[in-house]
Amino acid sequence: MAILKLHGGKQATCTRRVATVLHELQVPFELIEVDVANGAHKSPEYLKIQPFGQIPYIDDDGFLLYETRAICRYIAAKYPEYGLIPTEPKANALFEQAASVELTNFDPSASKAGLQLWIRKMGYPFPTDDKIIADNLETLEKKLDAYEAILSKQRYLAGETITLADIFHLPYGVFVTYAGSESDSVMNRASRPNVARWYKQLISRPSWLAYLDGVTTTTAY
Amino acid sequence: MPFKIYGFPPSTCTRRVALVCKELNVPYELIPVNIPKGEHKAPEYLKRQPFGVVPAIDDDGFTMFESRPVARYLVAKYGKGSTLVPDPKDIIATAKFEQAVSVENNHFDEPAGELFLQLVIKPMRGLPKDEERVKALLATLNSKLDVYEMVLAKQPYLGGDILTLADLFHLPWLYGLTEKAKLDLVTSRPNVARWYQEISSRPAWQAVKDGA
Repeated sequence: MAILKLHGGKQATCTRRVATVLHELQVPFELIEVDVANGAHKSPEYLKIQPFGQIPYIDDDGFLLYETRAICRYIAAKYPEYGLIPTEPKANALFEQAASVELTNFDPSASKAGLQLWIRKMGYPFPTDDKIIADNLETLEKKLDAYEAILSKQRYLAGETITLADIFHLPYGVFVTYAGSESDSVMNRASRPNVARWYKQLISRPSWLAYLDGVTTTTAY
Repeated sequence: MPFKIYGFPPSTCTRRVALVCKELNVPYELIPVNIPKGEHKAPEYLKRQPFGVVPAIDDDGFTMFESRPVARYLVAKYGKGSTLVPDPKDIIATAKFEQAVSVENNHFDEPAGELFLQLVIKPMRGLPKDEERVKALLATLNSKLDVYEMVLAKQPYLGGDILTLADLFHLPWLYGLTEKAKLDLVTSRPNVARWYQEISSRPAWQAVKDGA
């Protein structure tokens, strides 16, 4: 059985989402860096594998898959004992509800603001736009008011235990805080104590801390 | 106790849930939430759906929201023998299904929805079109549908050989952009056209396409 290959970028946002889940599930993997700076992800050979020309994708002993949440779900399904995707029907429905909340209510604004804030923090030579950041952070503030209502009644988004739906909020959930400070950011406001509590739990997980300096090949846990 | 949908008949996401009810022959009661009157932002409704959008459902006391998870729940509970969601024991088919569902959400839904807003909703409300935005959205959606054309040349459905929710999720926006906005995004691409023709002619969609 060949080691799972994660084709992506050491610092790339979505590559980090997959690496976090691989670490949660203690799955050994090899990071194979795609030369995005030189357009490798747009080459004809690459597009045959990932037709949208994006990173990452995985090669699991010959099985190729892209879209980070699909990748994370695939890995979680292989290791159901970790419980990152509940299987009991109602718990599963509530998990899907939470995963959809992340996708439709968090990601659109968090990824737009977060990507730009990440570019600035990393000092990458790409243009950023104050208005895009501000407008999307404003949208996110309103969405997180709804999160506060949900998280005031339960520990995590799908219920009392952590699931993929919570973990999917990484890394953009961290990047959007670059607009604030450690004690006061969109994810960590005194006015939303339950969101702050949940956020702090997410970022103190070993799976997040393992790749703070970027994703690396991980063969042992 | 009938399956209750708290929704607005013409709403995209309400029709998405009604479509899957029809596919599975699940009778439903539509309890209207009047969007133009702002009922979706009223405190009683926000208790059902904290983000203040439709629909929300109540299945004999079990409540949830978000149209795509509701669709998955419907298949899990009422779709015995249905192939709209692959058997979870088939990890590979499930992974390919999840990839297709993710593609619909990440690549298609946002530009399609905004384009519909610009081309159909804004004129209906007497608001001016944003031509620059329309151009950008058309460029994005065209590039995404070029990929769909390639994928659908090699397989009949987005998840592989079998029709799944991943295909059906596209119907509300594709119907709106093709039949209401009269764009040729679909008709100009033979494989996308074949796929759209098949999924849109299903009786379940015909029953709810103009209102849940």
